[in-house]
Parts: sequence; structure tokens; C-alpha cells
Amino acid sequence: MSYAHPEYLVETEWVADHLNDASVRVVESDEDPLLYRAGHIPGAVQVDWFSTLQHPLRRDFLSKEAFEAVASSLGISNDTTVVFYGDKSNWFACYALWLFQYYGHQKVRIMNGGRLKWEQEKRPFVKEVPTYARTQYTAKDPDKKVRAFRDDVFTHLKAHRPLIDVRSPKEYSGELISMPNYPQEGATRGGHIPGAVSIPWAQAVNEADSTFKSAGELQALFDGKGVRPESDVIAYCRIGERSSLTWFVLKYLLGYPNVRNYDGSWTEWGNLVDAPIEK
Amino acid sequence: MALPPKLQEIVADFSGMSREEKLETLLAYAETLPDIPDRLRQRFDRMEDVPECMTPVRVLAERQPDGGLIYYFDIPPHSPTVRGLASLLSGGLNGSLPEEILAVPADFYLPMKLEEAITQQRITGFMGVLAHMKHIAVQTLQGS
Repeated sequence: MSYAHPEYLVETEWVADHLNDASVRVVESDEDPLLYRAGHIPGAVQVDWFSTLQHPLRRDFLSKEAFEAVASSLGISNDTTVVFYGDKSNWFACYALWLFQYYGHQKVRIMNGGRLKWEQEKRPFVKEVPTYARTQYTAKDPDKKVRAFRDDVFTHLKAHRPLIDVRSPKEYSGELISMPNYPQEGATRGGHIPGAVSIPWAQAVNEADSTFKSAGELQALFDGKGVRPESDVIAYCRIGERSSLTWFVLKYLLGYPNVRNYDGSWTEWGNLVDAPIEK
Repeated sequence: MALPPKLQEIVADFSGMSREEKLETLLAYAETLPDIPDRLRQRFDRMEDVPECMTPVRVLAERQPDGGLIYYFDIPPHSPTVRGLASLLSGGLNGSLPEEILAVPADFYLPMKLEEAITQQRITGFMGVLAHMKHIAVQTLQGS
């Protein structure tokens, strides 16, 4: 079997062949904010998940107007093909892609393998930061079909619809309240949302080169946990970044039509008064 | 007790920098983090993990004849922010006596306004590295 929407995934070779294509903008989105500065794909621009994509005050994403300003300053217009790549198996690349979808950008892609594969293939990294002419960018109103809020999760819970917890097994079990090796500051309670199945995000990628697993392997992974194509699915993690990778896998590689990312995730649920928890 | 002079200088430098300059300077620190000398390679497996950081950070220290400590870090190149923060600490503290390192207040970094450039989580990791350097200083004083 092949991926349901293979056009959402491009290979490093394709990116190398489109570095000078004006209809394509390559965007780096990393967990480590200095990596882009240390060297990036020639012509690529940067979005930082925290300083670029978050609201400056509230716990939320940047506003529609701020998003338009960011896209415009990066030389992205409404019909630009935006290719995201990054470190950590493309976690934050998927997070940025998800946010672009939230504001209605249609032509989005992930570069399979991210920084790691580009580096393994000894392709060039440069420090020069490109500038592009500002564009007129008009964002759409947020697409709530890709994002779940806590009330949606409560509704989901009552209806016994599938929830996927993509955190590490120890976070799921409640032994840890944040990622292994992360400070224990994520939430005041440990555990998971009742009924959520544990499918750690890393099971969807090949460790050796950060590429996604094959369609058959992915299908078996989610099928095996009872997450079916017809399911209405919500995925979550700690802050919504790892689960945006799972969201991308379900939505585009497997073609599940109804998948939402709950970006409030455990740092909201595990701090929420009166919310049910299972351990 | 005042901060060790080199660390004091770094704090003062950062406090006057723009966000852009802070990021640029952190990268310069990352790129100049010294490698572990070959003579210490055999102690490599004794390097202590710093569990607070997501990136695997390992640190060891060597005592100089004058009693000062020189710290060495092993941090992957794909984690420049963590390398930069560790490099900044070793640049500011290397050569200091264990007692001087232990006297560095946990909030010494506040005037640097690092939060303008990096997330709180990374600052917490940064504090984890300092806490570990202090742990090594204590072990040194205890003669272990």
C-alpha cells in the first residue's frame, strides 16, 4: 500500500532540485532555536515554534493578523508551496505545518527525514540568511477541524471516541510528568486521559534517518491499537508538538479524515481541576 | 560573595544585548565549546549525566594544581543551544575554586534576560547544568 496523500511528503532530492523554485519556500522549524543559525538548507527561512508561532502573552498561537505578517515577511504568498523540515524527526516541522493548516494554507509539505537525512546525505548547509520580497498574505479563519480544545476532549471522552497519547510510556503511565530527561515541571498530576491508547510518536518514524515508516507499517501500528480510518481521533502529548507529528501521519500518510491535535495536551489536562485521570 | 570575574563579565555583556545579539553570542559559545582532551578520553565513561536536560549532556571536571576546576562537556553538535549555555558556564567558571563555584547564586543569570532569546524550559536545563557543576565541586571538596 502507499501513503494516502503522498503529495504532502517530499524527499530531500526533490528539495535539492527546487532550491531556486520561486513557487517553493523551504522553512526550517526546530526544537533547538540556534540550529538554523548554525547552518540551514540554502535559501531556507526559519520559524521558531516559540518566538514566531506563539502568542506573545496568552497560551495560544499567534493571531491571524500576526500569522499573515509572518508569512508575508518570509516571502510566502497564498499559493506558495511551503516545505517544512527540522530536527528531532521533524516534530517541530509538523507543528509548524499543522499551524499553517490551522490558518488555511493549502500547499504544505514535510521534507522526509528532516535535517538528519539532509546531513547524512552530505547536502549543503549555509549560514547566509536569505531575504525575500514581502508578499500580500491573507490567512483564513482558524480551521477548528484540526485543533481540539479541552471541551472537545471532554465531549470525546463521554462519547468513548479514540484518544491517542503519543508521549513516552513512562509519561503515559504517570511515572513521569514530563518527557524523560526534561525537568519535572510539566503538570501537577501524572497519568493519561481515561481511555486514551498509548502510541508513542517515535513508533511512526525510522530512527536511522528520521523518515516516516511505510504506509503498511503505519497502518498496522494504528490498526493494532483500534484506531481505524473511520475513527474521529484526537491526539495529544505534553504541549502538542509531538502529537502534531502523529496528526500529520494519520491525516496525510494514512488519510484519516477526522483527526485533531489537542495542543493543550498534558500541561493543560494534568493541571486542570476536576478533570478525570487514569493511571 | 561576588561572582567569579569572568562570569560577572558574561552576565554584564548579556544584560546589554538585544535578542539577536544574544542568539548570535550563544551560537559563538556553542561553536567554541572545547573538545575533551585526549588524555581525559579514558575518563569518558565516568562523565556525569545531567538528567535535567533533554539533550544528553555529560560533564567532567579536572582539578588544577592551584585547586581550580576545569570543566569539560560532551554535548552533541545538533544541540547548539545547550552547547552554548554549557560553554558560557565553563567560560565563566573554569579555573574557579570549588568554593567559588558553590557560591554562585542560583539566580545569577536573571540580569542576562535569557528569556528574551530562549524558552523557560531551556533556562531550567541551564540551571540543571550549573547544579551539576556544583555537585562535582562538592565531590571534589569531599575528596571523592
